[in-house]
Amino acid sequence: MVRIYVIDNGGQWTHREWRTLRDLEVQTNIVPNTTLFKDLQKEKIQGLVLSGGAPRIGLDGSLGNCAEYLEKANFPILGICAGHQFMARFFGGEVKPSKIPEFGQVEMTLIKDDDALFEGVLKKSIVWESHNDEVTVLPKDFVRIAESENCKIQAMKQKKKQFYGLQFHPEVEHTEYGEHIFKNFIQLCEG
Amino acid sequence: MFNAEKFIEKTIPNLQKDIQKKALIAFSGGVDSTVCAALVNKAIGDRLIAVHVNTGYMRKNEPEQVKQMMEDLSFNYRFVDASKEYYAALKGVEDPEKKRKIIGEKFIRIFEKVAREEKVDCLVQGTIAPDWIESGGGLRDTIKSHHNVGGLPKDMKLKLAEPLRDLYKDEVRKVARVLHLKVSERQPFPGPGLAIRIIGEPTPERTELVREACDIVEKEIERASEQGLMECPWQYFAVLIPIKTVGVHGDKRAYGNTIAIRAVQSIDAMTCHYSTIPHEVLDTISTKITNTMKEKVNRIVYDVTNKPPGTVEWE
Repeated sequence: MVRIYVIDNGGQWTHREWRTLRDLEVQTNIVPNTTLFKDLQKEKIQGLVLSGGAPRIGLDGSLGNCAEYLEKANFPILGICAGHQFMARFFGGEVKPSKIPEFGQVEMTLIKDDDALFEGVLKKSIVWESHNDEVTVLPKDFVRIAESENCKIQAMKQKKKQFYGLQFHPEVEHTEYGEHIFKNFIQLCEG
Repeated sequence: MFNAEKFIEKTIPNLQKDIQKKALIAFSGGVDSTVCAALVNKAIGDRLIAVHVNTGYMRKNEPEQVKQMMEDLSFNYRFVDASKEYYAALKGVEDPEKKRKIIGEKFIRIFEKVAREEKVDCLVQGTIAPDWIESGGGLRDTIKSHHNVGGLPKDMKLKLAEPLRDLYKDEVRKVARVLHLKVSERQPFPGPGLAIRIIGEPTPERTELVREACDIVEKEIERASEQGLMECPWQYFAVLIPIKTVGVHGDKRAYGNTIAIRAVQSIDAMTCHYSTIPHEVLDTISTKITNTMKEKVNRIVYDVTNKPPGTVEWE
């Protein structure tokens, strides 16, 4: 059984991420973002999900020890919403308040169609959103994978490492390919 | 996937270990508290006392139905009618968070009183994941204080047991089906009841209005679903918006309140899509409410907000 933990940044859907992983037979736990990297290593985890966060922390908050995870991890990391925004800032990108925030149902378009995380996902699909801020400048060494009408960076990936950032929420029931994206992520973690 | 049989197998011995003396369960008659009560009842039998509080904000005939349910399930139960107390405590209160906190605290004070009389030391609640998630605390923002979490007073003297804490509604329903509980498919109803379906002060008069409107919405939607006109929504009800608009009733000017119809589709209440109720059904509901409640209500609107950005209930 693959072991993937969820780092809790205080999002409303942290527990949903845990549930999706558990439903997919992953050994999973929700741990606070103050957990030390060496303690995660001791648990022999194979992947991490950085959850969304309390209001606006993606914009300028420190998100506990998330920086340490991004610095040291050699396993896949999936940053969601505030976790994605923090990933972008950590690697030199920019996060700003959205000109038009997105809440609820949005159509997302894949602009890179050969990415492993989105394998089997249609070019246009329905995703659910809940954000006031967004990544406006892509960090160095990242590629853009998906966009929506009002948010140009819906998904991004580090070119070398398996670090992904998603602005939308794959963990909620109403995101069309949500569980499918988690399955792909689990495969990446299994290596 | 979630395995209800395994969950039951694992939970019962844990409850037997956790509850040494007597326990009391806050019993609303909904899916969560009924599943919870049935599990604890299996674990400790008659040492569990189910307490139902009629807050005055229950739906039409609901207190009687819940009483019957507790009889049918052969629970050791108490039925407390506190409606007058609740109406008094909520007099002049308009703020949704204040309503929730007052209702939550009142529940606990009533439970503590029963606990003292019955020498109970443990309070069992059917809290499920969205309740504590939305109530906030620590890093998480408070979206709304669920009466069973955010409404709990700090000086509560009872030990708390919440065996369904990590479950979502769809999983609780699975457990209910394994336990053969009739309530397994019942639509959710919030602990603060109709008080949070009245925007503004929840007076007894306004409560009667929204109670009647909720009853019409529920009956018509259930009828339409049975006839195959629509899929039965996850949750469906009426909200009273005490804003008056002008109408005309038989050549005479009318000036009455507004009722909003709310219906959503969901699996776990964490995200919801508003239901697409056929126009003919909306039409029937609209006519029925305005005709039977014509002195008070002359306008019906339909809520087309998803969650997010909205929540299911308006408060």
